[in-house]
Amino acid sequence: APGFSSEKQLTFNVDHGYLEGLVRGMKAGILTSTDYHNLAQCDTLEDMKLHLQSTDYGKLLSSSEEDLTVSLVDSKLRANLVTEFSCLRSNALPPLSTFLDYITYSYMIDNVVMLITGALKQRDVAELLPRCHPLGAFDQMAAVGIARTPTELYSAILVDTPLAPFFQDAVSESNLDEMEAEILRNKLYKAYIESFHSFCKNIGGVTADIMCPVLEFEADRRTFIITVNSFGTELSGADKSALYPSCGKLYPEGLRLLAKAEDHEQVKAVANCYPEYKLIFDDPEPGADFKTLEDRFFEQEVKLNMLAFLQQFHFGVFYSYVKLKEQESRNIVWIAECVTQRQKSKIHNYIPIFPGTH
Amino acid sequence: MSSLLRGEEMCLAQLFLQSGSAYDCISELGELGLVEFRDLNPSVTAFQRKHVNEIKKCEEMERILGYLLREVKKADISLPERDVNPVAPLPKHVMAIMEQLQRLEVELGEVTRNKEKLQRNLLELTEYTHMLRITRKFVQRTAEREPLQVQYEEFPFLEKETMMDYSSMQRLGAKLGFISGLIQRVKIEAFERMLWRVCKGYTILSYAEVEEYLENPDTGEPTKCVVFLISYWGDQIGQKVKKICDCYHCHVYPYPSSNEERNDVVEGLRTRIQDLHTVLNRTEDYLRQVLIKASESVYTWVIQVKKMKAIYYILNLCSFDVTNKCLIAEVWCPVNDIPTLRRALEEGSRKSGATVPSFVNRIPTSDTPPTLIKTNKFTSGFQNIVDAYGVGSYREVNPAPFTIITFPFLFAVMFGDLGHGVIMAVFAAWMVLCENNRKLKNTRNEIWNTFFEGRYIILMMGLFSIYTGLIYNDCFSKSLNIFGSGWSVKAMGWTKEQWENNRFLTLDPNVTGVFKGPYPLGIDPIWNLASNRLTFLNSYKMKMSVILGIIHMSFGVILSTYNYLHFRKKYNLYLVFLPELLFLLCLFGYLVFMILYKWLAFSAKDSRHAPSILIHFINMFLMQGDGLQPLYPGQTGLQIFLVVIAVLSVPVLLLGKPVYLYWLHNGSHRLGLYRGYERVRRNSEEELYLMRAHDMEEGSSHSDLSSSGENPTEEFDFADELLHQAIHTIEYCLGCVSNTASYLRLWALSLAHAQLSEVLWAMVMRVGLRMDSTLGVLFLVPVFGLFAVLTVSILLVMEGLSAFLHALRLHWVEFQNKFYGGTGVKFCPFAFSLLPSSFEHDGLL
Repeated sequence: APGFSSEKQLTFNVDHGYLEGLVRGMKAGILTSTDYHNLAQCDTLEDMKLHLQSTDYGKLLSSSEEDLTVSLVDSKLRANLVTEFSCLRSNALPPLSTFLDYITYSYMIDNVVMLITGALKQRDVAELLPRCHPLGAFDQMAAVGIARTPTELYSAILVDTPLAPFFQDAVSESNLDEMEAEILRNKLYKAYIESFHSFCKNIGGVTADIMCPVLEFEADRRTFIITVNSFGTELSGADKSALYPSCGKLYPEGLRLLAKAEDHEQVKAVANCYPEYKLIFDDPEPGADFKTLEDRFFEQEVKLNMLAFLQQFHFGVFYSYVKLKEQESRNIVWIAECVTQRQKSKIHNYIPIFPGTH
Repeated sequence: MSSLLRGEEMCLAQLFLQSGSAYDCISELGELGLVEFRDLNPSVTAFQRKHVNEIKKCEEMERILGYLLREVKKADISLPERDVNPVAPLPKHVMAIMEQLQRLEVELGEVTRNKEKLQRNLLELTEYTHMLRITRKFVQRTAEREPLQVQYEEFPFLEKETMMDYSSMQRLGAKLGFISGLIQRVKIEAFERMLWRVCKGYTILSYAEVEEYLENPDTGEPTKCVVFLISYWGDQIGQKVKKICDCYHCHVYPYPSSNEERNDVVEGLRTRIQDLHTVLNRTEDYLRQVLIKASESVYTWVIQVKKMKAIYYILNLCSFDVTNKCLIAEVWCPVNDIPTLRRALEEGSRKSGATVPSFVNRIPTSDTPPTLIKTNKFTSGFQNIVDAYGVGSYREVNPAPFTIITFPFLFAVMFGDLGHGVIMAVFAAWMVLCENNRKLKNTRNEIWNTFFEGRYIILMMGLFSIYTGLIYNDCFSKSLNIFGSGWSVKAMGWTKEQWENNRFLTLDPNVTGVFKGPYPLGIDPIWNLASNRLTFLNSYKMKMSVILGIIHMSFGVILSTYNYLHFRKKYNLYLVFLPELLFLLCLFGYLVFMILYKWLAFSAKDSRHAPSILIHFINMFLMQGDGLQPLYPGQTGLQIFLVVIAVLSVPVLLLGKPVYLYWLHNGSHRLGLYRGYERVRRNSEEELYLMRAHDMEEGSSHSDLSSSGENPTEEFDFADELLHQAIHTIEYCLGCVSNTASYLRLWALSLAHAQLSEVLWAMVMRVGLRMDSTLGVLFLVPVFGLFAVLTVSILLVMEGLSAFLHALRLHWVEFQNKFYGGTGVKFCPFAFSLLPSSFEHDGLL
């Protein structure tokens, strides 16, 4: 009911106003195009460190004694994001706290699958744990490698974690191999994103207005990626459609068509029916830089997330901030990678965030 | 004084610094804090500048210093924060400091690592002892039960489920394994649950809490731990159990197979723990010694490194000339300080032993210089009030010197109470007397700092409040009868019945002997008893507010002439200032005249016939005064004249300036009147051209800067000018009305203050004073306490803040908008004293 949502807007600031203000302040620290321009001119990581000092990152990189490497930059940026996020999370009240928890679940799923594949390759847990995303850290993480089947994984290890509800469709007795782990990831993700979508819908108001398109896009992106990646595997159409999240714009007709798709042209034909995805699959204009499908999706995601900041009194800004900040980390790491490998020609392939701001 | 009124005259100067002595010269300038450097390489990013490596080195040193400071703080050693001010170290000495720091860092790092290792070791051993001690109890418990029960009775789950016979049980029993260790108490439940789920009950977990708190090696916090013992069956389960133990970060220790072994281990552990304790103590002693030694010079180092970094930062702003022998810096500098600047450069060259001196060269510029107003500790507070509104444009009239008097005065008009003023003045005087006290000066309490920074303002406010309090004759809402009232009740000759039957009696000043003449200072104390006191005071204060407001605003308008004269815009004097002043004075100045006239013309005798000024004032605009008795002969004529003048000044104000400028701009071509003016322009352009040619010869990179700074020939847009003037006119004319009304806040706040203090007296103090028994004396103590607390908190602090705010508004809006632009840029000199002085502020800690 509109009355209900406007009443919610009225009282939004009582519980969440502080954090919204905080996150908007943090958003102001997102690097601008001038910053990227300057970063791209750097010759060494030390130069980058010097430049980042003049941004909101401040002394983040200069406080360590070790020599700068790209992976150190990456982990520092990640730690920074985690600090910010845990600050938000520890001050959050329901339902924002649940919302923030939902953000972490996707990282948890990735961590679980990473640990499983690591265990399959006989890697030591101590070696794997530091590579897990700290946003998706949970107590039982180190024990994931014990499980042999998805059922065991669920009933023995993950039953106490927030991931448990997503296992509904994923339990099976087949032995976990790499393929099975990947399928498990997608099944969990499907359940997760559908649950997140309905959670946001239930919150209603501006949050639903902002978050649903973002999550629908996310769902569709996964659908496309699964389809493209499944070319040349023995995954049947039915198998595939079991992995497709059903909360996206592609549902139901697009999903049915994609499950049948056999090559890139067919995927493109499906995408052509949807104006927002047509752009992504369009052939690049001659003269423009070639961009991978992934990058094009990222670009679109950044655009969607930027929209979240145009409205007030909703939770979307928290999700968008985390995603934008992640993209920023990817950008910085990309530039750092280019700088260390002296690949100056590719340095501009990052995805700018808020290109209009200075 | 002229500096305070207009700000310092600034000039742009070029410093030619010999590359050998540049560092020392800049260090010298930093100590003095004379000049503001301009960036001559704005297009060069931070990491491409010349001295970026030196800055990195400084940052490295800062990092080490931060580490040292943290360690010193952790060890609880107080830092000797003395008033030392070491100069920036010479570049050749930097390496020595760097080496010293690095050595210290390595040494400290090693010792701390050792210490941590030892502590971890100790913790492990302690944990092991705890584990052995507690698991013994588990075993004893089992042993006690053993005779009563079958050996594998503890596995009821198994017995029910499997068909295994005893012999196979025995066989499995041979593989019975134990894992024991410690786990954090918060995790034990989840641990147990997972153990159960994964191993399906093929394990037995027994656990007991350790009574002591053990230090968590990662966080250093004391945590409660639990000792557990898992008995499991079979190797596969054992693997899983181990993994789960890893997952929950358990500290697993080998479980002794027999009692003798256990005793041996316990014995061995005890001696090792003792040894470790002694080693640990020694390490800690050594660490402390190293830290104490470091803490002695750490403060000096911090300042030195900060200064050095600042110098290199400035050097990065300079540009090189072609020969690379000489650095060129551009600075803004007060003209009066140029000799000091020369001397500083000489001093710097002398110190570095350079053969070629560094020198200063004034260069012409068309850029607007930054504003510098030199203040002292007394004027700085008032200057801050003005700057908070906007930093004055270059060489504009600065309202601060006038604010020194008007601000406390307007405040006091609202706050007028002798008693409150005395308290405030005494408090401020105490702060002024103790201003050199470090404890007061260096506190980090922001609220206190605000008061402390404004101590002179508060002092002035207090003193002025004493004065206005005397005028209002208000001291904690009571009046003082110092000179004896000018009224006599006796002269009225009231009888006893009259006294008893009337609650109100009226003193008539027309009866001889009742009114003996005005009270020498302020309001007569008899009004304190009068029931119509409020009516009397309201009328008085309202009129006073209007009078003060008109004077204040006229003063602001008059100050604008100083700007017009200084910026050589004489036409503004006739086309803006004059109509503005006429408009204000003809309408509101006349109102003031009427108020004063009424006060003077009507005495107690004919006060019944005193007219209402308001009606007269309204009639003045309506141009009709027929029904009323005129105040003085010729009133109607004068009023019509004034209104006509005021109305006529509006179109002059609106059109005068734009039309004149239009004529000046278009006419000057045709009439050739302003050739002299043009010549001046051309001269300065030639100068600029020469300057640029000179730059080009030198090949210096900042030629683009000087060309970008050059003003394009001013485009004159009549419509634009007219629009601006129209806005100004509307704002001014309406402002005169609304600003005058705004000054009535003086009356309103002073009324509120007086009433509040009276209410406080009546509601609190009078209650205490009414009790006339001996107990009343005792009762008076808490009552007075309450009265004092409320007086300070409400009447002094809250009312004071509100009066302050309103005084601020009257200055910012009503006064300053008459003449003050406030669009300047503050001069911020390169001065070491402006670097953050405490450790916390620069992120080292």
